[in-house]
Amino acid sequence: MRLTEDHAKAWLRGQGLPVPEGMAASSPAAVAEAAARFGGRVAVKALIPAGRRGKAGGVALATTPSEAEAAAAALLGRSIAGHAVERVYVERAVAIVREFYLGFAFGSILPRVMACREGGVEIEQVHRDSPAAIATRDIDPARGLRPWEATALWTEAGISGPLLPKLARLTASLGEAFRAGDALMLELNPIALDAAETLTLVGAMVEIDDAALFRHPEWQSLEAADLLQARNARERAVIAADRKFSGGAIRYTELDGDLALMVAGGGAGLVQHDLVVDLGGRPACHTDLSPAPTVDKPRALIDAMLSNPRVRGLLIGYNFLQMAPCDLVIEALVSVLREKAIDPRRFPIVVRLFGPKEAEARAIAATLPGIQYLPREASLSDAVRAALAAMAQRGPGS
Amino acid sequence: MSILIDRDTRVVVQGITGNQGRFDTRYCLAYGTRIVAGVTPGRGGEVVEGVPVFDTVAAAVAATGADASVLYVPARGVKDAVTEAVEAGVKVILATAENVPRHDAAAAIALARTAGTTLIGFNTNGAISPGKCRLGGIGGDRTADLYVPGAVGIVSRSGGMSAELAVALKQVGLGVSTCISMGGDPLTGRKMVEYLRLFQADPETRAMVIFGEPGTDNEAGVAQAMRAGELTKPIIALIAGRFQERYPAGVSFGHVAAMIAGSGDSATEKRAMLRAAGARVADSIDDVVRLARIASSDHALAP
Repeated sequence: MRLTEDHAKAWLRGQGLPVPEGMAASSPAAVAEAAARFGGRVAVKALIPAGRRGKAGGVALATTPSEAEAAAAALLGRSIAGHAVERVYVERAVAIVREFYLGFAFGSILPRVMACREGGVEIEQVHRDSPAAIATRDIDPARGLRPWEATALWTEAGISGPLLPKLARLTASLGEAFRAGDALMLELNPIALDAAETLTLVGAMVEIDDAALFRHPEWQSLEAADLLQARNARERAVIAADRKFSGGAIRYTELDGDLALMVAGGGAGLVQHDLVVDLGGRPACHTDLSPAPTVDKPRALIDAMLSNPRVRGLLIGYNFLQMAPCDLVIEALVSVLREKAIDPRRFPIVVRLFGPKEAEARAIAATLPGIQYLPREASLSDAVRAALAAMAQRGPGS
Repeated sequence: MSILIDRDTRVVVQGITGNQGRFDTRYCLAYGTRIVAGVTPGRGGEVVEGVPVFDTVAAAVAATGADASVLYVPARGVKDAVTEAVEAGVKVILATAENVPRHDAAAAIALARTAGTTLIGFNTNGAISPGKCRLGGIGGDRTADLYVPGAVGIVSRSGGMSAELAVALKQVGLGVSTCISMGGDPLTGRKMVEYLRLFQADPETRAMVIFGEPGTDNEAGVAQAMRAGELTKPIIALIAGRFQERYPAGVSFGHVAAMIAGSGDSATEKRAMLRAAGARVADSIDDVVRLARIASSDHALAP
């Protein structure tokens, strides 16, 4: 989850890190009031979960409260980088003498820190043009980033003198925040140096690890709001069921096709989806269900898929089940079909589901005539062909 | 031969009293895996599926000589469970949980690597040396039907695809030396190329099949090792997820790792990279079988 600037900076401030005075506001009047209270120049920035806002026209500088008010009025209601601007962040402007870049992220195995003596720039551009300008170090996750390692990092980035220990201390503290906050990414761009030789975190981007939210109650309400904004009712229902019931994770992403695709296991799901597309089919969703011996989660997923008005057929095209029984999936299917009064003689349903308790699963499927439960030798491709053929036979719009 | 696990492997199951732990343990025992101990704190002294339960891994190892561990521990407990297993001295750890918090994953991986322990996972359904040993749920209730012994080494980012590949190979008379579901999380205990190096050194393995997805640099590592001449046995690669390139970047499909994160790690780019390095890149499972047949006629793969 990418944090918007207000939450990112509030969090950094809470960690005792130097962040300019600032607040979120949803009206020009509130922005004017805040600007008057901060005094002097302020920055007014669109609060959207995206980077490069400056380039996209999402940041304005104002020297008076009325200028700040006008800047806010111009930003609010606009769409920037595909996001509607509903709130802005107003912040005391720092008189910047010099800028630095600092980023924390994960490499292919270890967490990693990157530093550059030029800040306020597009770091990807620097990486392309002069990679040597960026100093990089892996972080030992058992020890975290030690202050002397941060010193070596900035030395390598070309910093020396009294600035060096200041940047190193700040970097070590940020490294600790990166870990404690379960961030996947923490980017400070720029870190600003003012005339009084004080360092301030002016630009801050934070992405939090959703998998670690269980130990961060402070982010949970944000995530809930985030999900509510981003998804439709069926996707939300699956997310709610995923949290409510035990068992392997379920995921559901709606697409614009007409074939409901229920697949287990991320990998086979990708293979199956590739096959559908290669054979000219149009999936109505992508699903991912980690097989587990439970019925509630498959039921929630099937219910969502079959509630989509665009859907004209269902393919349950699992790989060989190994860690879960088949019968619970079919139990879930049959219960949803009965509840929704869907008749598989008219609505094509193809099942390719092999593994533990397969005989029981076949017996349950047989209680509702019309479900096409493929024989053992059927491959993933056979299943896709059968589903597309059954839908073609129905014809469009039936 | 086989890699990492064989007939002598003695297994302790952490979390044996849970739903999944019990389910897999029953089938592992039926397959002949030597599960010698289970661990659930507070349940020491109990017996599950005929296996004695201990309160700690150290106690289980001391009493039974277990040298491999399978973890049925939820994501939030994985870092501690791995640490406990490493400190108890087991040599192979299979961690089934998915979506392990990234900082925990990095810490557990670093710890295991430093200790020289092979950590398989996260988000894996198991590993199997057919006819000898299986760890985890791999193979389900019909392990012998899905995985037959042979000369192909499989490393897969997906547990389900491991089985699909093994069955497809079986249909043309090819068997498996060892199959590793390496895990589908963004960070895994070992990289794909590390397993391939073991297969390269294993005299029984004559060819290797890899299954990959968008995201991570696993295939880049494989391509690099091939270019460096470290991997000379035939490698057949199936990389799924081409369809994702039809959708906007950032839309998540399936494994969290399988996201189009940027350039260089899409299915199409990985396929091109592997092909350039000399791998035989398959378009589908049927194609894997076709390529494996060709490789087998080149290298006498059939048992």
